[in-house]
Amino acid sequence: MIVAGVDIGSQTSKAVVLKEDHVFRSALFPTGTDLYAVARKVVENAAQELGHTFDDIQRIVATGYGRVSVPFAADTMSEITCNAVGAYHFYPDARLVVDIGGQDSKAIKINDEGKVVNFAMNDKCAAGTGRFLEVAAETLGVSVAELAALSRRSGNRIRISSTCTVFAQTEIVSLIARRTPQEDIAAGLHESIVSRVYGLINSIGPGDTGRVVMTGGVARNDAIVSLLASTMKREITVPEDPQIVTAFGAALVAKSRLGSE
Amino acid sequence: MQSILDNLKLRYSRRNSEIVKWKDDTGGKVIGCLPMYFPEEFVHAAGLLPVTLFGGNGPITHANRHLMTNACGAVRSTFEDLLSGKYDALDGVAAVLICDQVRFFFQVWSLDHEFAFFHQMWRPFNMSEASRPFLLNELKRLKSGLEEFAGKAITPDKLRESIRLFNETRSLMRALNDIRKTRPGLLKSSDLAKAIAAGMIMPKEEYNSLLKKLLVQAQDLECEPGEKPKIMVCGHPCGMPEEEILDLIEEMGAVIVGDDFFTGSRYFSVDVPCSGDPVEAYADFYLGLTPCTTYHYPQNWIEQDRSLSTYGDYVADYVLENGIQGVILLREMYCDPFDLEFVMLKKRLEEQNIAHITLNTGHEAGSLETQRTRIQGYLEMLSL
Repeated sequence: MIVAGVDIGSQTSKAVVLKEDHVFRSALFPTGTDLYAVARKVVENAAQELGHTFDDIQRIVATGYGRVSVPFAADTMSEITCNAVGAYHFYPDARLVVDIGGQDSKAIKINDEGKVVNFAMNDKCAAGTGRFLEVAAETLGVSVAELAALSRRSGNRIRISSTCTVFAQTEIVSLIARRTPQEDIAAGLHESIVSRVYGLINSIGPGDTGRVVMTGGVARNDAIVSLLASTMKREITVPEDPQIVTAFGAALVAKSRLGSE
Repeated sequence: MQSILDNLKLRYSRRNSEIVKWKDDTGGKVIGCLPMYFPEEFVHAAGLLPVTLFGGNGPITHANRHLMTNACGAVRSTFEDLLSGKYDALDGVAAVLICDQVRFFFQVWSLDHEFAFFHQMWRPFNMSEASRPFLLNELKRLKSGLEEFAGKAITPDKLRESIRLFNETRSLMRALNDIRKTRPGLLKSSDLAKAIAAGMIMPKEEYNSLLKKLLVQAQDLECEPGEKPKIMVCGHPCGMPEEEILDLIEEMGAVIVGDDFFTGSRYFSVDVPCSGDPVEAYADFYLGLTPCTTYHYPQNWIEQDRSLSTYGDYVADYVLENGIQGVILLREMYCDPFDLEFVMLKKRLEEQNIAHITLNTGHEAGSLETQRTRIQGYLEMLSL
């Protein structure tokens, strides 16, 4: 049995090819503008990593914003469901998944069977997402990775708007003009994202039991993870590869649908 | 069926030019009525054509100068249509003051634009018998205002005749709604909403005749087979719901079997009694309308052990009685009545373990793709 899940996100495309029960390989590419081409490429690469070809794959499930542009997928499924399925597979005691991707953030509550019972997504603006960090880093003239390191050295966290990415950028420019230390601006940016995501989490009534899992590209930013953990007063688990959890969930859905045919 | 449906949708889409055409054809006068709950029968009985004003989807370029930034989309887009001359053919305008925004904005209208007939009807927000005398006075004040403007008396017989005609419309609309409810796939919810809205802008005589033909043609049509999750959609108290969102819900495989839209069940669910004094009958009709977020039920707060949300009870009961799996709430930005009731409604749904999702909507707001993800995720949550 060889199946695949492909997650075409707004910034990056991910694929997981799953063989039998546990053997898997993944691949990741920037999404770009040709969604079909990147979907094909990312699946082929993951298949090759596993010593197979694209044609060996028996079923593919597509997810992410580009899921409707993957004609070779047998099914599409929302990233909400796929994310929950993936997180529950790695951590059966997970009850809350926080996913911060390129242009959206999600809070997903799951029950002890791994089913989604409630969820919320960010509304209207990229504030509280990976794109927010990218825009801020560009404005400060540093990389996203440097932003986290800068943030940890701050002694005076600045308050920055969490409402709108563009307004936040304007705020950063005026903070730079006032010679505010980069470290403090970086810390303010992290706080801004965390407060936005914390509001999203609370909107679904997250409960206070079970494991909290964080996925998506922003989960690689340990400054965000630790700040969110201290804000929530909960421990947060980050999978080894937080960006492929949703694609993995899609592969698991493909596997279960192949089995039920 | 499809050609009549297309005709109704077309009439709705060119609703403002329809007014001009009707006036050219008949020489009659048209009264524009702001949504919602305006006693159209009184306008009809005076020999005038009542037309509901829906506003549009286009950009707001004039109205923002006059209105606060948190005015709702319905208020801003209707004002935009007024200022851009789309209502120039109207002979008069009238509104039931259903919320503070409509009250404020309708009064600003009178400053910006002169109409030969301008009428504000105050409706009691407290839906109880204590409000009846006030309501009767308002209905009588409307009646005499229309009589003066039209230059003819609204006799009890004339009013009763109009009530019968409009009851027939409501009955035909209910039959149309039954098609959507019982034969999934035959009638899209967005088409139903537009077909209902067409009935609020066309002469009822012509509309009823078209709807009768449509219903006959639909009799033998088969629906799509298969089990699909049944959904109720609520929200957008006074305007046309976003058709793209209704379409997405159905494209994703759900069946919308109920709604509480003004261009839906709240317009056609209740008939006006035909017996007795017609003005009294109209007061009965108002006091017995389907619960809505623009009404208050103070007795529920004053007396112990009563539900704090009559509207929430209505939605929860409808869901349970009709075997509905979930509720999608369309929360239009800046709609005060819905926002204020929203907390109670959510509480009632949670108490009854009714799965629900809220989609924030608004004039020119939001990305359809993120709504697609939310809707698909929600329907998967119901199905898996």
